[in-house]
Amino acid sequence: MTELDTRPPRAVDVAALVKADRVHGSVYTSQEIYDLEMTRIFREGWVFVAHESEVPEPSNYVTRRIAGEPWIVARGRDGVVRVLANRCTHRGNRLCNADAGNSSSFRCPYHGWTFSNDGALTGVPMRGGYGEQFDAVRNGLGLKPAAAVDSYRGFVFACLSTPPKTLLEHLGRATTAMDRLLALSPTGQLNLRAGWMKHDMPCNWKMVMENNVDGYHALFTHASVYDAVKPAKVSHVPSKVEVCVRDLGDGHSEIDYSPEYTRLDEEFVWFGRIRREKLPRYVAAMEEAYGPEGTHRAFVVGPPHTLIFPNLFLAEMNIMTVEPMGPGRSIAYTTPALIPGADELNQKMLRRAEGAMGPAGFLIADDGEIGARNQLGLAGPDPEWVVLSRGIESDLTNETGIVNHDKSAETPQRGWWRHWASVLAGQASTGGDSDDKGAVHA
Amino acid sequence: MPDLASIATTAPVTGDVPAAGVDPALAGFIYLEARLADEARYSEWEALWDDDALYWVPMGPDHDPRVNLSYIYDNRRRIRSRIAQLNSGNRHSQTPPSVIRRMISNLEVVARDEDTTTIASNFALFEYRFDLIVWAGRYEHRIRARGDDLKLVSKTVHLVNAGGPISTMSFLI
Repeated sequence: MTELDTRPPRAVDVAALVKADRVHGSVYTSQEIYDLEMTRIFREGWVFVAHESEVPEPSNYVTRRIAGEPWIVARGRDGVVRVLANRCTHRGNRLCNADAGNSSSFRCPYHGWTFSNDGALTGVPMRGGYGEQFDAVRNGLGLKPAAAVDSYRGFVFACLSTPPKTLLEHLGRATTAMDRLLALSPTGQLNLRAGWMKHDMPCNWKMVMENNVDGYHALFTHASVYDAVKPAKVSHVPSKVEVCVRDLGDGHSEIDYSPEYTRLDEEFVWFGRIRREKLPRYVAAMEEAYGPEGTHRAFVVGPPHTLIFPNLFLAEMNIMTVEPMGPGRSIAYTTPALIPGADELNQKMLRRAEGAMGPAGFLIADDGEIGARNQLGLAGPDPEWVVLSRGIESDLTNETGIVNHDKSAETPQRGWWRHWASVLAGQASTGGDSDDKGAVHA
Repeated sequence: MPDLASIATTAPVTGDVPAAGVDPALAGFIYLEARLADEARYSEWEALWDDDALYWVPMGPDHDPRVNLSYIYDNRRRIRSRIAQLNSGNRHSQTPPSVIRRMISNLEVVARDEDTTTIASNFALFEYRFDLIVWAGRYEHRIRARGDDLKLVSKTVHLVNAGGPISTMSFLI
């Protein structure tokens, strides 16, 4: 066998696995479905790969994996951020072996081939061995770039094959969530350089993502925090708060606390109700940038709690991305969304991130445990279905998406699965969320 | 109680301090701390800490907590919260507690001042939960003599796999 296997993956009857109010348990456990996800979602669709602030200067790079494949995200000497296959084009050695660094070129230690950080093959030792064909060989052996790279407000996305739609079409209404986060930065920039916590979780990657916008679980999964440590920022009892959940379309969804915060008209409810006096320079910079009204509004409304399909979660003042590692294993990466110049705030943000997030975090450690037990439970095939009907009769459709004013409604999960099914069925080739229709049969 | 006055210096001592210089009482304190953590005796473990406590698990050996995110960076107040959560019975990732045993060796005094001694050591920790997981790394314990008592001022845990990924670590490392 010398040719690549380019046959399409074996057909999975996706429509039979996802219904409007439930999903088949095998979507979390099947290797066949996992392989199809890697193709349809992670190789053929847009995925978050890095933030521009991770490569702020020319020649900065970070390394990432997409669907298990090694990639380099490098800012060239020309300032352009590229996503390049991280394997030597000669014999396949992984070329760059650091998590992050600074280099204008990458040299393979195996036979010394050297590549510029724009991907060009610039050095081949003992080139005479290739005879007269050398120039042709060299010109055809640059590092393979991702088929498409684009960014929105600093968040860099890649698509490994010809993208079915533009990044903006893919993001759809989720751009509003990024805008909401950036409204808290006086420069409109973020700094994601504090380092990623890498949390190895023995569960399917979709559990990690879905759980992030599950407004039902907090009272139970996180009872130990709210009972023994400190009360929640606002009640998790749906009837006591004006918190809504929203299916934004295109697989994106959120828990939106802003109606409750707006009703309270209180600043920083989302940040331990910190007082402005503790953050004088940040407040001054915000007022300089956005004026008193805009600043007050940003401080009241706070950051997004929004899942962006398939692998990005705007976790209020943290950013999480998830990497699938097989049907039963995922790595969750988390880092705080630091704000350039807001040192008083950033110190607190680091400490808050450590408190809540990651392998030892007061919240996420228990989410990981629940995910692990979910995976163990789903090893049993009966009942076949996982139930997602909560709130289905009170979903409302408006210009912002499908909204449910009961924060415990499973509206976000229904949106996730509707889109997932359309992508896996190969139907996500047009813009907007109209592509979601039709793949799911109630 | 160790005779700390006889070994006190004004500046921290690092490097060539002989391993034999680890006072048995200080070594015993480190072993006690380890055993209380292994056996999920949370409140007794918490009682070892002094008021200016720092329980730190960095994500890299040369990290600065003002710049870099850590897995754990607990001051005394957050240690109290961590223990309250573990004691609640609803810390699902430690309910029931993981079965744990750790071994500590290569104890060396790396710094001393008037009342505080810093001891570095290597550890291997075996955690059994869904599977057996091995954790390993280097500890640095700062221990303060307070009258007849010893108090833990700081504990830094440099995991060999600090760069990650790491599994859930809600037990006391």
